[in-house]
Amino acid sequence: MKFVFDLDGTITSQETLPLIASHFEIEAEISELTRETIQGNIPFVESFIRRVHILGDLPVDQIDILLGKVELYPNLLKFIKENIDSCVIATGNLDCWVKTLVERVGCKAYTSTARVKDNKVEKIEKILKKEDVVKYYQNMGETVVFVGDGNNDVEAMRIADISIAVGTTHHPANSILPFTDYLIFNEKSLCLQLNQLLLVVPE
Amino acid sequence: MSAAKSIVISCAGIGSRLGLGQTKALIKINDRTIIAWQLELFKDIEDVRIVIGYQAKDVVKEVLRHRKDVIFVYNHEYYSTKTGASFYLGSRHANEYVIEWDGDMLVHPDDVKMLLQEQGEFVGYSDITSDEAVYVQTDEKGNVVAFSRERGDYEWTGPACIKRDKLNYSSVHVFNQLEPYLPMKGLKIRAYDIDTYDDYKRVTEIVKSW
Repeated sequence: MKFVFDLDGTITSQETLPLIASHFEIEAEISELTRETIQGNIPFVESFIRRVHILGDLPVDQIDILLGKVELYPNLLKFIKENIDSCVIATGNLDCWVKTLVERVGCKAYTSTARVKDNKVEKIEKILKKEDVVKYYQNMGETVVFVGDGNNDVEAMRIADISIAVGTTHHPANSILPFTDYLIFNEKSLCLQLNQLLLVVPE
Repeated sequence: MSAAKSIVISCAGIGSRLGLGQTKALIKINDRTIIAWQLELFKDIEDVRIVIGYQAKDVVKEVLRHRKDVIFVYNHEYYSTKTGASFYLGSRHANEYVIEWDGDMLVHPDDVKMLLQEQGEFVGYSDITSDEAVYVQTDEKGNVVAFSRERGDYEWTGPACIKRDKLNYSSVHVFNQLEPYLPMKGLKIRAYDIDTYDDYKRVTEIVKSW
C-alpha cells in the first residue's frame, strides 16, 4: 500500500504560499491570485506559472529556510515516520523551495522542479501532475491512498484506489468531493483512519 | 463499550417518504436535528462514521457544529442504492465490529447505553410503531430468526452490530445484509424510525419525556 500525501495544508498546518507572501510583503499580489485560483477562474497550471513569476526573483535559499520551519501536524508526521516506506509526498511546490521541509518530513517526495541560477528561479522545468505519482504506484501493483485538500488534487483523487479529503487546515476544495471516499476534519481521526487502512486493506 | 467497535450512522438517503424535503438526519425533533440527538449519545465513542450522500454539505456543516472528529464516508451512489450499501461503505475500513445506526432513528438514551456496552453481535428491535415496518421474528429466547415484510413479533429498527468482514457491497437493505447470519442475538429496545410524517409527529411527542 502507498499513501500519497499532498503537502500544503495536509501535512503542514499552515499554507506555505501566504507565509512566503507575508514574509516578503507581497500579500496583495498573491492573495488576488490565490482568490482567483480557489474560485476556479484560473486553471492550476496557469496559476502556478504566475505564482512562480511573482516569487521567482525572491532568494531561493531564504524561501527554503522559511518553509523549513513551517508547522506540521505532529500525529500525521509520526504516522509518516513510522511507515516511511509506505508514504510519499506529492506537491506542486518547487523542489528548491521545499528541500528542507521535505527532509523534515522524511519520506520520498515528488515535486515540481526548477532550474536555479544566482539564487533565483530561472526556469520551471517540470510541473508535477500528482496523478502521475498515483499511476506510477498503481502500475507497480500498489493500492494507492491519496490524501489531499486542493483543486490540484482532483485528478489524483479521481484515480486513487482510496481518496481522503482533509479539512484540517481549511475546508477542502469542492471540486475534489465527488471523488472522495472519506472526508476528515481532525488530525487524530485522520491518523485513526490511516492506521485502519493499514490493518484492513489487503496487500 | 469495547474499544474495537465503530459506529456507522447512515445519513445518505433522500428521505422521500417523509416529505419534508430534506435528508432525515437534518429534520428537527423539538429544535434539535436528529443527527445532533445521535451525536450527543455517542459523545464518548472514539470512532464515529457518518455516511453522507444527499445534502452531504448540509449534513457535514451540521455535524461539525457538534463534533469535529467524526469520519465522513461518501456514498456517491445514494440515489440508486439502499442502506445496505451505505452500511458497507461506512464499515469497510472500520474496526472489527461495526454498529449500524440509521440516520432517521432515535433510541431511548438508557437503551443506547445498554447497546454500547453489549459484547459481540446483536440485532436491535422494538415494539411495532411505524407505519411501514419491516418485522422481526424471534425464537423463545428472543433471538432474531427472520425478517419479514408481512408479519412478525417486533419491528426491525436497528441498530445491529456485526463483524465488519461479513458485509459486502450490494444495493440492498441493512436487514438483507444480516439475513445470511441469522439467527442472531436479539435485544429489545425503545427505538423509533421516522419514515413518515405520522412517525415524525409521534416521535416528537415521545422524546419530550427523555
